[in-house]
Amino acid sequence: MTERLTRDEEDSALAGEYVLGVLDAAERASVERRIRSDKVFAAWVQRWETDLSQLDAGFAEAPAPNLLPAIEARLFGRPDGRRAAAPGWWRRFLTGGVTAGVFALILVALVPPAPGPVAPAGPVLTAALAAEGQALAFAARWDGAAGELVVTRTGGDAAAQGQVHELWVIAGQAAPVSLGLLEAAELRRALPELPEGAVLAVSLEPSGGSPTGAPTGPVLVTGVVGPADA
Amino acid sequence: MIAAPEPDQVAPLIQLVAAGDRAAFRTLYGVAAPKLMGVLLRMLGTRSEAEDALQEVFTRVWTRAGRYDPALGRGMSWLIALTRNHAIDRLRARPAAAATRRDDDGREDDGTDALPDPGLGAEGGLIARGEARRVIDCMGRLEPDRAAAVRGAYLQGLSYQDLADRFGVPLNTMRTWLRRSLISLRECLGS
Repeated sequence: MTERLTRDEEDSALAGEYVLGVLDAAERASVERRIRSDKVFAAWVQRWETDLSQLDAGFAEAPAPNLLPAIEARLFGRPDGRRAAAPGWWRRFLTGGVTAGVFALILVALVPPAPGPVAPAGPVLTAALAAEGQALAFAARWDGAAGELVVTRTGGDAAAQGQVHELWVIAGQAAPVSLGLLEAAELRRALPELPEGAVLAVSLEPSGGSPTGAPTGPVLVTGVVGPADA
Repeated sequence: MIAAPEPDQVAPLIQLVAAGDRAAFRTLYGVAAPKLMGVLLRMLGTRSEAEDALQEVFTRVWTRAGRYDPALGRGMSWLIALTRNHAIDRLRARPAAAATRRDDDGREDDGTDALPDPGLGAEGGLIARGEARRVIDCMGRLEPDRAAAVRGAYLQGLSYQDLADRFGVPLNTMRTWLRRSLISLRECLGS
């Protein structure tokens, strides 16, 4: 009881308590914050997970019902949906209070079709990325003939130091795909295809972009891709 | 870290899932769902909650597969760690009364004595090998009831309070016991 533990023993024991799962909810949350910010501590957790995984043999298998349809519907949208459905979390976001604001902004932010004598050879699609209560906004314009997407920041500021805005497209039932980092006021990139009805979204990510290849931070603004002359 | 001699069939599936391969996701479900369902049933106690949790677990598998590093462990170990983590979050979110009731569900025969692992043979080669046996050997050096506390926490998701009730000791005593057990285990396992 009275013996003093070294810092390593303390950290290792706390990591072990976390992996075993004996801590209460508040303690778990505090350990999880530490895992994210302290690499040495995170390595203790990893070590315990690896070592204790040898106890996994103590778990017997059990018949599992086929829950795939429900899981896939949650992840990818309804399989029989006629319209490409965004994955669940985008849909939740889009059906929240922001939808009306997003569409209202699309109407005012639409880029008119080029009125020049030469009509564009391919389709032009646009999207206005916005959300209620959010100063940040982007206008996206995709030129099908050139196969180029241009995204311009039309409101708000660049992300704070150590963070970055990352642009995503969710086409049909696919998982979000990164289109790049919105570091400057304008992002211009090649994009051969962009289906109408796809969702463009911007999330807040650590500097350098999402470490996982999927959005990890909060979704700040979204917009639905539609015809420029709608 | 564990130099497993058998090929890891799960790891490549997780890596395909990380790349957005939905066919691999379905295959992974077929391969891993029975084991993960076993984990959830053991920890959560009821089939309805276990099924609900299994959906959440596979949703996370899809979104987090990119974080799996095969250098740090086998695919199934990663899946079980993710599953246990979710189960523990659910258990700790339960009101205290529900947590107590859980102990009356006829599952209290686990963990109170050093029973052999029911599935010890199931992962045969891996567990039987010297290196992989270490944690089990090291637990053998703990006093039996302390080893049982570690196993009960790991396999059933018992909290400090659950363990204190089960072993009939004050909460702080249980904390001291378990922390000391972890420090002994770490010494034995090496850092």
